[in-house]
Amino acid sequence: MSFLPDWAEPVLRYMLEVGLKGTLQIAAISLVGSTLIGITLGTLLTIKFLPTRALIRFYIEVWRGLPILVTLFLVFFLLPVLSPRFEFDALISASIALTLWGSAQVAEATRGAVGSIPKEQHEAASALGFGWLGRHAFVILPQALRRLLPPLVSLLVNIIQNSTIAQVIGAPELLESAERQVERLAAPTPIGIGEIKAFPIYATVMVIFFLISFPLTRLAAYLEKRLT
Amino acid sequence: MRRLVIVIAITALAGAALAAWGGVAAAGEAGPRVAFAADQAKLPPLPADIKARKRLNIAVKCDAPPFGYIGARSQHAGFDVEVARWFSRFAFGKSNRVTFTCVTTPAREPALTTGRVDMVIATFTYTADRDTRIDFSRAYYKATGRLLVTKDSSVGSISDLAGKTVVTTSGSIYDRWMKNCLKDTKVLVTESFTNALIAFRDGRADSLMWDDTVLLGIAVTDRNYKLTSDLFLPLPYGIGIKQGNTALKAWIDSRLNLMKKRDLFFPILKNTVPPGQVAPFSKNILRPKQGFGYSQGDLTTQCP
Amino acid sequence: MNLAVAFDWSFLTENGDELLAGLRRTLEVSAIAIAGAFFIGLVLGAARAHRVPVVSQVAAVYVEIIRNTPILVQIFFLFFGLPQIGIVLEPFTVAWVAVTIWGGAFNTENFRAGFEAVPHRFREAGFALGFGRLTTFLNVTLPIGGRIALPSSINTYISVVKNTSLMYVISYPELTTTALNINALTLQTVETFTTLAVTYLIIVWTMSASIRVVERRLALPEDAR
Repeated sequence: MSFLPDWAEPVLRYMLEVGLKGTLQIAAISLVGSTLIGITLGTLLTIKFLPTRALIRFYIEVWRGLPILVTLFLVFFLLPVLSPRFEFDALISASIALTLWGSAQVAEATRGAVGSIPKEQHEAASALGFGWLGRHAFVILPQALRRLLPPLVSLLVNIIQNSTIAQVIGAPELLESAERQVERLAAPTPIGIGEIKAFPIYATVMVIFFLISFPLTRLAAYLEKRLT
Repeated sequence: MRRLVIVIAITALAGAALAAWGGVAAAGEAGPRVAFAADQAKLPPLPADIKARKRLNIAVKCDAPPFGYIGARSQHAGFDVEVARWFSRFAFGKSNRVTFTCVTTPAREPALTTGRVDMVIATFTYTADRDTRIDFSRAYYKATGRLLVTKDSSVGSISDLAGKTVVTTSGSIYDRWMKNCLKDTKVLVTESFTNALIAFRDGRADSLMWDDTVLLGIAVTDRNYKLTSDLFLPLPYGIGIKQGNTALKAWIDSRLNLMKKRDLFFPILKNTVPPGQVAPFSKNILRPKQGFGYSQGDLTTQCP
Repeated sequence: MNLAVAFDWSFLTENGDELLAGLRRTLEVSAIAIAGAFFIGLVLGAARAHRVPVVSQVAAVYVEIIRNTPILVQIFFLFFGLPQIGIVLEPFTVAWVAVTIWGGAFNTENFRAGFEAVPHRFREAGFALGFGRLTTFLNVTLPIGGRIALPSSINTYISVVKNTSLMYVISYPELTTTALNINALTLQTVETFTTLAVTYLIIVWTMSASIRVVERRLALPEDAR
């Protein structure tokens, strides 16, 4: 990579080895967490039992309503005050905040997807002797998942992009790794080069995110189109 | 020919001796030689839980050169990081028996309260208020408050600040002190030092109030700015320890004193600041004949 | 743990003025950005839907760049990156510019979808009445497509309000930054974050309730069947 200036190589290496890795870790944990919790809550929301519905509704409206940054502050600063057991490191805190937000999104989408499965499917499954759980696990959800796929891909894009808020609490993700390098380079030698390199470094962060997100948004649009 | 045989024989003997010595060292349970073992013999021992873990967990800054930052080889580096590496040498004989965790300014206390890390070495200013929630080691670095102003500024000292805007970081001791003592001064706060510097550069504040160590670096590299001559709020950094962990505090304090006695802070300083700044900075570190402690009482209410 | 007891109500009287000032800045930045996003969405959405040459392609690139990069990185770029090439923006400017650009991109898509959902025969009816292209847009496509786009665009405005909280990273003293500054001085964590969360929920819930009202009020006569 000789076309790059001397300072760029270590910066890029750190951003990819530490930053991108952290971003992908946060995204992976949050995606799995959001999907599992969201599908469960969304399916339960279709049961016509008022207390559970009210509780799940409240969960969805709170975590969808709050700015994710505020949710992150609640997890990182408020939870430990309530109980020391709820103290997590920056990366896990960010994953929890994104999971709260993401699961609310998935729950809402699941409710719609499950609700869109025709009544006859429920009746047919019941006639085959399935109970509520079996009916949903083996008949309804597999069909609903097809409809859920495009929103889940969009969710992944949003989770990857929103994982940058972890920077605010110093978790090692892409934006934070870039910021650390900007700070180092700004220091006089021997530490840095005494120059601010924020423009090329943050532009690089934008390019990396674009390269990840663009194919995924295309995929989501393609899946959406194929379903309708 | 005979000479060659002798040379080979001596080389072989020396090699065997070296191998045997190495073998003995490797076989020894103590592992690598602990730094300053003789000096440490009479000092408080390392707490058992850390000894059993064979590693220190230490929180440092990762975006605050020259104290804690990420170096060009993606490694932790800086003054605080070097102190941590000395602790690793004192404890386990090697500088790499330490796991670093990056902390931001507001995350330092939470990192200690549940024992996520053993200690926080992260430009941690001692305040009486913080001391009620966590413990501090003895002071190991003496930072002092200074004012950064533009070259042609009318501000010559803190007594000229009435009606002016001063920028500093949110929740810092400067923030509290100015709100208590300089009622006629408008205080602008930012979430990071970088943002404070940007606010000052953009002309949104007449002056930037912060630690001398960091401001000096800016005044030296940028000819448009200067420091006013007055020093205020002596604010030594300490090492944060979980409240009540007296055994660890005794270990840390004694090792900091050992570092002072053996003048180990000076080489660290020489490795972390530009050559031209070693002299002014050397007044801020512990040296065999140079010491300092914390100011007593709540500084934020002690007005000039 | 009883939060009602733990909550120190004097927190609100002591910090109320500062919090209200922060809230005012949040609403101020949001209002500017919502107006800006509405205008951008309307113009570029129409250009996209009607495939106006050049403008449509430029708008597509703009939308893809903004939608596929995190807004927080955009804010970093505007505030920390641009000064290097001589463009120095105040935190307030970065605050409203960032959310306006972001909201405008999403709104372009909202309005494009709305305008494209207007049945072609409606426009043909407009032309048949002797309307020109612009008149047809203003009298036919805009009122119908605008209503179709309204719920999704209000959702974008809600996101705009929530995204103003990100101005914390540039220390612009809107609601979130103000709350964290207060927390740093008072260490009243429970009070600070409860107040912060409740305030955002009130704003956001009010806005989403308005979607339902507006949907009912502005429902297309056809849909009322």
